[in-house]
Amino acid sequence: MTNNLTRRGLLAGLAAGGLGIAGLAACSPAQQGGNDQPGTGGTGGSGSAAGGATGTVTVRLWDEQVQKAYDEGFAALMAKNPGLTVKTVLVPWADYFTKLRTDVAGGNADDIFLMNGSYIEPYITSNNILEIGADFDDLKQGWIQPAIEQYTKDNRLWGVPQLTDGGIGVYYNKALLDEAGVTPDDISTLNWGGSSDTYIAMAQKLTKDTAGKRGDEAGFDGTKPAQWGSSAAQDLQGIYYNFLGSAGGQFQDADAKFVFASPEGETAFSYLVDLINKYKVAPAASNTNANGDFTRDQFLQGKIAMFQSGTYNLKNVSDGAKFEWGITMIPAGTQGRVSVVNNTVVCGNAASKNAAGTTAVLRWLGSPEGAGYVGKSGAALPAVSGAQQSFADFWSAKDVDPSVFAQQGQEKSIAAPAGSNYGAAVTAFKPIFDEMFLGRKPVAEALKEAQEAANKAMAG
Amino acid sequence: MAAPIRFAGRRRSVPTAAITYVVLAAGAVLTLAPFLMSFLTAFKSPSQFASTSPLSWPSPFTDENFATLFTESGFVSPIAVTAQVVVVVVIGQLLFSIMAAFAFARLNFRGRDVLFWVYLATMMVPQVVTVIPLYVMFTQVGLRNTFWSLVLPFVFGSPYAVFLLREYFRGIPEDIISAAKIDGAGSWRILWLIVVPLSRPIIATLAVITVVTHWNNFMWPLIITTGKDWQVITVATAALQGQYNGNWTLVMAATTIAMAPLLVLFTIFQRTIVNSISLTGFK
Amino acid sequence: MNSRSPLARRETPVAWLFLAPSLAGIAVFLVLPILVVIWLSLNRWDLLSPMRFVGLANWGDIVTEPTFGHSMLVTIAFVLMVIPLQTALGLGTALLLSRGLPGSAVFRVIYVIPWICAPLALGVVWKWIFAPYGGALNALLGRNIEWLTDPNLALPVVAAVSIWSQVGYVTLFFMAGLAGIPPTILEAAALDGANAWQTLWRVKLPLLGPTLFFVLVTGVISSFQAFDQIYALTPNGGPQGATDVIATRIYLQAFGGSFDLGRASAMALVLFVVLIIVTLAQQRFFAKRVTYDLS
Repeated sequence: MTNNLTRRGLLAGLAAGGLGIAGLAACSPAQQGGNDQPGTGGTGGSGSAAGGATGTVTVRLWDEQVQKAYDEGFAALMAKNPGLTVKTVLVPWADYFTKLRTDVAGGNADDIFLMNGSYIEPYITSNNILEIGADFDDLKQGWIQPAIEQYTKDNRLWGVPQLTDGGIGVYYNKALLDEAGVTPDDISTLNWGGSSDTYIAMAQKLTKDTAGKRGDEAGFDGTKPAQWGSSAAQDLQGIYYNFLGSAGGQFQDADAKFVFASPEGETAFSYLVDLINKYKVAPAASNTNANGDFTRDQFLQGKIAMFQSGTYNLKNVSDGAKFEWGITMIPAGTQGRVSVVNNTVVCGNAASKNAAGTTAVLRWLGSPEGAGYVGKSGAALPAVSGAQQSFADFWSAKDVDPSVFAQQGQEKSIAAPAGSNYGAAVTAFKPIFDEMFLGRKPVAEALKEAQEAANKAMAG
Repeated sequence: MAAPIRFAGRRRSVPTAAITYVVLAAGAVLTLAPFLMSFLTAFKSPSQFASTSPLSWPSPFTDENFATLFTESGFVSPIAVTAQVVVVVVIGQLLFSIMAAFAFARLNFRGRDVLFWVYLATMMVPQVVTVIPLYVMFTQVGLRNTFWSLVLPFVFGSPYAVFLLREYFRGIPEDIISAAKIDGAGSWRILWLIVVPLSRPIIATLAVITVVTHWNNFMWPLIITTGKDWQVITVATAALQGQYNGNWTLVMAATTIAMAPLLVLFTIFQRTIVNSISLTGFK
Repeated sequence: MNSRSPLARRETPVAWLFLAPSLAGIAVFLVLPILVVIWLSLNRWDLLSPMRFVGLANWGDIVTEPTFGHSMLVTIAFVLMVIPLQTALGLGTALLLSRGLPGSAVFRVIYVIPWICAPLALGVVWKWIFAPYGGALNALLGRNIEWLTDPNLALPVVAAVSIWSQVGYVTLFFMAGLAGIPPTILEAAALDGANAWQTLWRVKLPLLGPTLFFVLVTGVISSFQAFDQIYALTPNGGPQGATDVIATRIYLQAFGGSFDLGRASAMALVLFVVLIIVTLAQQRFFAKRVTYDLS
């Protein structure tokens, strides 16, 4: 009996001890090299782009295609710098900026992260990112001017330019066009809005319901779509920004105050809402409001004839489309074709534990060699001029002409969103925009309400 | 399972039985249909899903969605992390709750009843109230996004478990315990030698409930972890749904993987589990 | 044996040793957070900038701004939709299964399956089923109903999913309760000439009092805190905030783009107080009506 007593008591004691050991030894297969703190150790170097850098540096981004390009580039960098490990971390766009903030606040964000002009301000104000200062002077003349301007505040630069989007274009599905008896030329000079509108008729021709009736035929049932002619949706960069600009409207003024509730705004947004709800030539907003990739996925499945988007989808389309496709200009409004030109940078984490390694990798990414990998893979147009040719070469080898984007980029543009509380503003106006696009709220009323809510949130 | 209730005179007629079966069968179909549909979707190729009705049978049956999940999205890690968390939490909760319940049930000390009411009161604290301050607390001590952060808030015992165990322990006859005391056994030995072996049913019940609760835990891991290192299954499923929004074949494959381990355990232990749930909660 | 006897005094140190781990856990992970949340509710913090003391400003906001009141109303509507149906269906199913028809055990097992699965995972599955384009239900019906984006449909749909997940679990409790009713009482009722309906209302239900109490209290408490499934089905509060229940509102306020931890903390405290009131109210209601003595 004594043995039993001892054994059971021992078991309990062991369980308690085992708890502690298990807790200490718990491992996560997702960690490589047993390193779960970004950026440990490392000594820096000077001279060459990443000379002598050691330790671990982690790079966070939202774009899968860019990640593949970076991985290839970093492999080459690591081969040249043994002792340096660079890891990329992908966080989906939908969560990217919320996670970034909680991670920066928690002190364990990655050393380098991709950043968008709309969201960068709070990080500048709170000193969470590194200034791109004198250490980078020799590289700065290689960076395109618009990118430097977009990310300069108080005469200081806050990110290393990486990607430039050019303008927006329209990807079209040649097979669907042929089937409707439409040529690519027919859709390259469309006008939207007002009495000279040719876009709606074209989109209707290219829309079919499950019974085979086209959008311009009698008996067309838009509630049972089989394919859509247009990709109109609540897509800021791909759709509504451009329609707004082409109508002569502005999203924000120079002080980042929202001003889209204007007559021009009403023109642009009600046009889009009608495309979706009245003419039914674009997917129902209940699909697109919550899913930013819906139209892209439907286009890739051959269900949309004209997919309006930017260079950021070029690789996805090229890889995923199993039909013949091409790129053409966006429809013109009263002010012609106006589109948003956006640049993306990478920022350094001011709280990084490997400051020297971070700086070294940033320098490399800002050099023609480092930035070239993104261009070489065709994933995006680099913002480092010396690397841009690789992008053009890649696509000409594939017989794809992305010059439409560059061409559009030269035309009039509308400034990308910015502001110190942009994220909160989006949270405030998006639900109202959702209602507007669903056709449940009149456009004028919705724009006014959304603008008020957005400005209130922006003011904090 | 206790004997079913029967009326003294067999007044049940065949039509009543038939209606009962129809109703029960309808309920069963309604319960199982979503699972069946989601499993089938998980085995369809994305192109088939895009071109045919969502209800069509997979042809061919393909495992490409699962392959994508395991290679590109690394679903192995969340399973491993969740399993480790659950093991540690179950051991800790049972161990420490048993100890506390024994103290409340069979030991006498000042303030016993007051303290027990404090334990009970904490059961009413909703999780959503504690997650924000816990997030702040864990971040301040640098434990954010670590294994400990997933485990610590739960490992020291659960008021619910203490409550249930105490009721059960009180039901153990006094004589057995007195006999052991006369033999010279201390409280520790009484607990582990006598009380625990007699309480196997309730402990099994609690183990089941704890495993299910923590395997399926979502809000806290969602808030306290980021990235892939310490992602648990629920968070990984939600992240996948957010990233591949609309790619339903892939998302359904993820939910299938998320639910499979517990479903398998359930089919093996279903009798214990079902009896356990019936056993809890009231007397 | 009272707690001041000599025996008690000897057991006290031992007792505290036994209690130490769980007590420490409760103090650090339950009591301390409540104090912290009270303090947070008096501050303004967005995670990046330094914390700012604002006194009762957050509390004032909750009262004046409509979002919190709206969330409370949505939550109450949700609870009112879920609890009565879930309880009634659970009781009904338990009555059917308690007849002892062959195969009842199989049905019982089937109905419990949703309880085993993560509410989050189930929410994602139902999200697919209710998807407007490519979803199973619309394909089945051949129509394009906007289940989760129509403000009139969203909340009932979400409530239906919640009921679907919980009915089996509730059934089990009622089955155990029914099994605890002594057959003699039922026989006496039959002898008295009571039909099935009368037996249900006059005999079984009163004796199911404790079970009903437990099911209602735990059901109300957990549906007031419903998060996982609703978050999976409608991550941003639903169309026009139709499914913006209090738990998702608190989460979104703190971590969903607005980053207002102070206000979220104040909301959480209000929820806590509401739950205490609801629980106590239910307790008082049942205290007078529950029969415990079955002998």
